[in-house]
Amino acid sequence: MTTCDLCDKPAIFHDVRIVNNVHSTTHLCAEHAINAGFDVGPVDLSLAFTNSEGVNDEQCVKSCQDCGMTIPQYKKSSLLGCPTCYETFKEELFPIINKVQNNNSQHVGRAPSQMNVDVNRHLQIRRLLKKLESAVSQEQYEQAASLRDQLKELHESGDRHGN
Amino acid sequence: MEINPEQNCPFNSDHVPFDDVVLSSRARLARNLEGFPFVNRSTTSDCMEVTSLVNQICSQEDSPISLQWVDMDELDEITTEMFVERHLISSLLATSSHPRAIAVGPELSRSVMVNEEDHIRIQSIRPGLQLNEVREDVHKLDLSIEEVIAYAFDEQLGYITACPTNLGTGARFSVMLHLPGLRIIKDLQRVHQASEGMSLAIRGYRGEGSGTIADLFQVSNQMTLGETEQQLCNILSEEFLPPVIDWERKARLRIAEEQSSKLDDQTFRAIGLLQNARILSPEEAMNCLGSIRLGICLDRIKNIDLSAINRLMIEIHPGHIKRKYGQKLSVDEINRHRSDLIREKLDT
Repeated sequence: MTTCDLCDKPAIFHDVRIVNNVHSTTHLCAEHAINAGFDVGPVDLSLAFTNSEGVNDEQCVKSCQDCGMTIPQYKKSSLLGCPTCYETFKEELFPIINKVQNNNSQHVGRAPSQMNVDVNRHLQIRRLLKKLESAVSQEQYEQAASLRDQLKELHESGDRHGN
Repeated sequence: MEINPEQNCPFNSDHVPFDDVVLSSRARLARNLEGFPFVNRSTTSDCMEVTSLVNQICSQEDSPISLQWVDMDELDEITTEMFVERHLISSLLATSSHPRAIAVGPELSRSVMVNEEDHIRIQSIRPGLQLNEVREDVHKLDLSIEEVIAYAFDEQLGYITACPTNLGTGARFSVMLHLPGLRIIKDLQRVHQASEGMSLAIRGYRGEGSGTIADLFQVSNQMTLGETEQQLCNILSEEFLPPVIDWERKARLRIAEEQSSKLDDQTFRAIGLLQNARILSPEEAMNCLGSIRLGICLDRIKNIDLSAINRLMIEIHPGHIKRKYGQKLSVDEINRHRSDLIREKLDT
């Protein structure tokens, strides 16, 4: 069991940061996490980070791969960071969406009409470039190579269409 | 940008439907661009890229949406304040510091806010009960924008928004109601109960967290997911409003019958105060205008037009006063000029 960096109690708050390629991890118990100003949240949301037998000490604070948002940050502002957050925090957000949307979870209104192919391709390239940048900075070279291939393919498909 | 305060006031009703009870109708759609973080996680360059993409659509010469583009940083302080007072933009857009913009229709009723809480907030506001019309307005703007821009969209969650309360349609429909009759007969609870059963939210004049002023209430749909835009609109216009308008009208008639002296006293006391006061706070002015409004609707006053009172309910706010009487006015000076403005308008 991981213990708190500041005492011997079990750690329930795990903060993983990568700054300038330097990886640092902080483990804190509830008391020290609150004292340090981290928002461990109300009980209902904190449950998202525990299993049925109590605190899951292996569970790190998840962050969105696209924007870095975490659930404690979301709870402070009630705003998510990017569309990917909805996928990243699917389990945690599901009860919240149900509550604010009167138990509705399926969209039935209008949807965007057929998107312009060029706009779509431009956005895909933009998104892949961002992911590539992040993969390289985290030294995930296999993922970076796969992203480069996808980018090459997109560029070539654009060329074939005379763009 | 040249703004004419007399032009297209959202409360400027000239015999629009149900304008005795419904002051204005509003629709707004929340949209975000695919491939960008939401505004709260955006860098300055992300925000600039978003404004530039939306600008390209709004500034096209042959654009069918005919909106005028204004960078918020280039909009002067007083016009910004006026836009907030007319509900054309939100206080959030007015006070944020990141790159943001507004595209506004020449009639000053349609607007597109760029980089507010979401990348795009499309909005339309019209006098009286015109919910279907404002729904159509925002739908047309939405179609024009989505031809060029890819929105963040998910088959299950619908249009993806920064706050889960706007997911799905991203649509919020609202009406501003004047309910003095129900307040006087102490039956407002009935309206609150009706709204709860239909998942509608009732707020004060200034929106979320604001108190009631001049018996004005904003009612809007709480949920945005799981119903179509038309259904959300219908809940307000076909299920909620008909009985509420009926209750309010009946309450007013009952007051006219049972408490006619008290009604006349309140109405003419309010006129007397506004015609003679030399210093008026916005609250006092609004409450008097509300009493006069009720008197006009019940035929107690014949020589004051309802739309003149509706316009005053917008024009007495600080941004409008500053534009008319001078840029740098203290609160005391604004309160003095407010009384000047009202006397001038009530004399004509």
